[in-house]
Amino acid sequence: MLPRFLDPAVLAGISSLELVAKTVVDGFVAGLHRSPDFGFSQEFAEYRAYTPGDDLRHIDWNVYARSERMYLKRYRGETNSPLTVLLDASNSMQFGSHPVNKMDYARYLAASLFYLAIHGQRDAAGLITFDDEIRNYIRPSTRQGQLHRLLAGLEQAEAHARTDFSKPMRYFQELVTRRGMVLIVSDFWESPESIVRTIEPLRFHGNEVVLFHVLDPEDVRPKLSGPSILVDMETQDRLEVTPDYTQTEYREKIEAHLADLRDRTQAAGMDYCLLMTDRPLDDALREYLTLRGGRN
Amino acid sequence: MGFFAPWFLAGLVGLALPVYLHLLKRQTARPKPVSSLMLFESRTQSSTRHRRLRYFLLLSLRLLVLMLLILAFASPFVNRNTASLSSARLVLLVVDNSFSMRAGTRLADAKDAAMRVLSGKGAARAQVATFGSQLRLMTQAIEDQSALRAAVQAIQPGDGHGNFGELARAVRAMAESVHTPIELHLFSDMQRGDLAVTFSDMALPANVMLETHAVISKAQPNWTVESVDAPGQVWGKTAKPVHVQAVIAGYGTPAAQRTVSLVVNGKTTATKTVAVPANGRATVDFPALDVPYGFSRCEVKIDAADTFRADDLRRFAVERSDPQKVLLIHNYGDNRSPLYVGAALSAAAQSAFALESIDVHEAADRQPSNYAFIVLSDLNTLPPLLENSLTGYVRAGGSLLIAAGTSAGARSQIPIFGAHIAETRDYSRVPGRYMAVGSSDASYPAVAKTGGWPGVKFYYALAVDPGDALVIVRLGDQTPILLEKRIGEGRVVLFTSGLDNLTNDFPLQPAFVPFIEQTARYLGGSERQGGARLVDAYLDLRNTKEHAQGVEVTDPEGKRPLTLGEAASAQSFQLTEAGYYQIRLANGRQDEIGVNPDPKESNLDIIPDDVLALWRGNGGQSAPSAQIPSAPRKTAQTLWWYIMLLMLAFALAESAVASRYLGTQREE
Repeated sequence: MLPRFLDPAVLAGISSLELVAKTVVDGFVAGLHRSPDFGFSQEFAEYRAYTPGDDLRHIDWNVYARSERMYLKRYRGETNSPLTVLLDASNSMQFGSHPVNKMDYARYLAASLFYLAIHGQRDAAGLITFDDEIRNYIRPSTRQGQLHRLLAGLEQAEAHARTDFSKPMRYFQELVTRRGMVLIVSDFWESPESIVRTIEPLRFHGNEVVLFHVLDPEDVRPKLSGPSILVDMETQDRLEVTPDYTQTEYREKIEAHLADLRDRTQAAGMDYCLLMTDRPLDDALREYLTLRGGRN
Repeated sequence: MGFFAPWFLAGLVGLALPVYLHLLKRQTARPKPVSSLMLFESRTQSSTRHRRLRYFLLLSLRLLVLMLLILAFASPFVNRNTASLSSARLVLLVVDNSFSMRAGTRLADAKDAAMRVLSGKGAARAQVATFGSQLRLMTQAIEDQSALRAAVQAIQPGDGHGNFGELARAVRAMAESVHTPIELHLFSDMQRGDLAVTFSDMALPANVMLETHAVISKAQPNWTVESVDAPGQVWGKTAKPVHVQAVIAGYGTPAAQRTVSLVVNGKTTATKTVAVPANGRATVDFPALDVPYGFSRCEVKIDAADTFRADDLRRFAVERSDPQKVLLIHNYGDNRSPLYVGAALSAAAQSAFALESIDVHEAADRQPSNYAFIVLSDLNTLPPLLENSLTGYVRAGGSLLIAAGTSAGARSQIPIFGAHIAETRDYSRVPGRYMAVGSSDASYPAVAKTGGWPGVKFYYALAVDPGDALVIVRLGDQTPILLEKRIGEGRVVLFTSGLDNLTNDFPLQPAFVPFIEQTARYLGGSERQGGARLVDAYLDLRNTKEHAQGVEVTDPEGKRPLTLGEAASAQSFQLTEAGYYQIRLANGRQDEIGVNPDPKESNLDIIPDDVLALWRGNGGQSAPSAQIPSAPRKTAQTLWWYIMLLMLAFALAESAVASRYLGTQREE
């Protein structure tokens, strides 16, 4: 692995989102070439006894000639699994305590996933940008130039208002019609119960749903040198907070929040991946490939 | 330990300021954005937490810097034992080489005593100096014995007048720059005449320990020529006989007969015997001093009868020259002012001046430089050519007496003199019909012998703006009546009334003759020429520093003590040796003067032991330290220098710490 190319701080110096995606994916793939999990090309999988109604073309006649029993030869063939990324573009995504804020990190992540899906898997890929409304929708497609459309959509995604899953989720169900993979990239500043309840319907449609929970290190461990006035980036509410609180009670609360969210999403049959913006992107890519492999 | 200025400690109240800034001032927090307040809860600090001291290190450094600053102002000191500082002491050897040290073997004895002290000084640094009229350092502060001994051997007798007040002043100045204790050894004949006027002038700093080495133990009798009264100039071949009067003084002497001689250019021209009373004075009169044309070097000598032969003569120089010409320029038809001025000059000045009076129309072809000085009397008009000529004459060193008279009232300013005329004062219209003199400068030569012009009635005068001119006489209403201004190398005296017995009755008063005589001598420059001066006196060389004309001084040994730069710019010169000096002044005049040591040096009476003991004890101790040499002396060592260094270090540390904290606040 070449972690240097996966470090968000290094990626921040690359202006082209396509180059960022290529750098990340190539670096990631080069690091995985010895992995035993890798590989889902067309290959033999198993034999299965013939049952009436099966396609006669799949019968292995050589086996029939030897044993006079009809078996079907099955291959681990490639499938098309459309990928839809739901990108949270609310104001809170602009928070960052170091050069890469959450929005940038989410862009890099989405671009890398698109690159991997389109160039690596030949999958259709689409993008939905939302905050409290659907801001942009690029339907999944394998057409030529789809990657550029998606990257342009990511470039245009600017943080606007506050996050509200319930409102745009109605439209998600209408827009995500084909079964596939739905990756939701957000900082999920909602109660876990509300988030899961809102997203669950996507799972009911047969989609593989993954929550990429993007957080800044200071979201988890805020650093205050003295009593401070904190301003909510989405609501502009103000609150006076002391360092003692952030070092004790807040940490307990955020850890409970993350654990609750992870438990509830997994209980609902969805996957959950926590990403810190100071960490390389390979965790997210690995999660995607694991899911993708499971769908073959 | 103590403080030289303890009242500055009141500044410690100022320490409350940083405490206030750190403790009481509320911390202001800038709003900080966060992604969401979902998990945050409001918390505020208790009041005690607000008042908790912040930045302890920074506060401590600031308090220390302030405290040290206040301490430095309070100037703390510690009393250190002088004995403990002996290795760092400076041994200052001062050998008296004033004129009285020429008597007998005094200077040689003083040098021997200095050599003995040098041998016993150990490893301490030493410095050799001589002391006449002022302290002259012969070496730097060094430990090299051979160099110090050579410096002592090189000390030559001088002609100056010693003054212990001047010595103490120089040592006080030295003690301010030398922070180590100074051991001052004074080798002198301890002449009583060397004492300062007040004892406080002789006070020495606390870190100076005085040790006196008297080369004689009792007063010695001495006869001397105390003073000679002789004119500096004699005019013409047929001048009246010139008297020379000398005073012979005896100090601690019995009544005796002394032989007094008058020597002119090395030849004894007259000898007299005079009876000098015990410890008293006698006057000798030589009725006729016959000198040739030019400068003559004259001396009055007494026969040698004591150990101090250097003071048995007194020098003076006399110049014989033709009478000097004086030009009086008056209006056409004015016969009164030439009459009065001419009569006054011929009556008083022993044919020293020959008056030539012309009217203003004849003046154009006269060369001003041929005259000792020029009088302008009540001129209606002054032709520009003549005015330019006279201005150049004054700038080059000539002198002018201007009597403004009534005709100047029509002008706005006095020509050449340059004073603005404010108004004319006609006193014939005021009650009493005249104005008398109100105040006068009695030290001015032209009015010194006239007693302030009593009884002179002024009927008319000009009120002029004196500007930078010197006002010598004022009338009762403060109108300046006699003023002097120096223009270039010359002098201009302005009389704001007339010399014609019309605007005043001055020409008829007894004061008029001495006024004209002294003014003529003053303007003619004869009062400055010839005669005698004392050693250490200053001689005026030029009026203005800008004058490019060089002066020339030849000392008694025939050397030229002025460098080329000094000759072109020096305004005065100090006479440091006894003998005859030849001088060529910036205005071209030649002069020769006899320079004699101060007569006080001839009195060989010594300072009583109790006075010396008082001086050695720094004036505050009755017991002389010399009698208890082993007694430890405490010297106050000031600490402000170390405090300032410490404060600098803390200030730098404070800057570093403060910038770190400020950086932290910016990140917040």
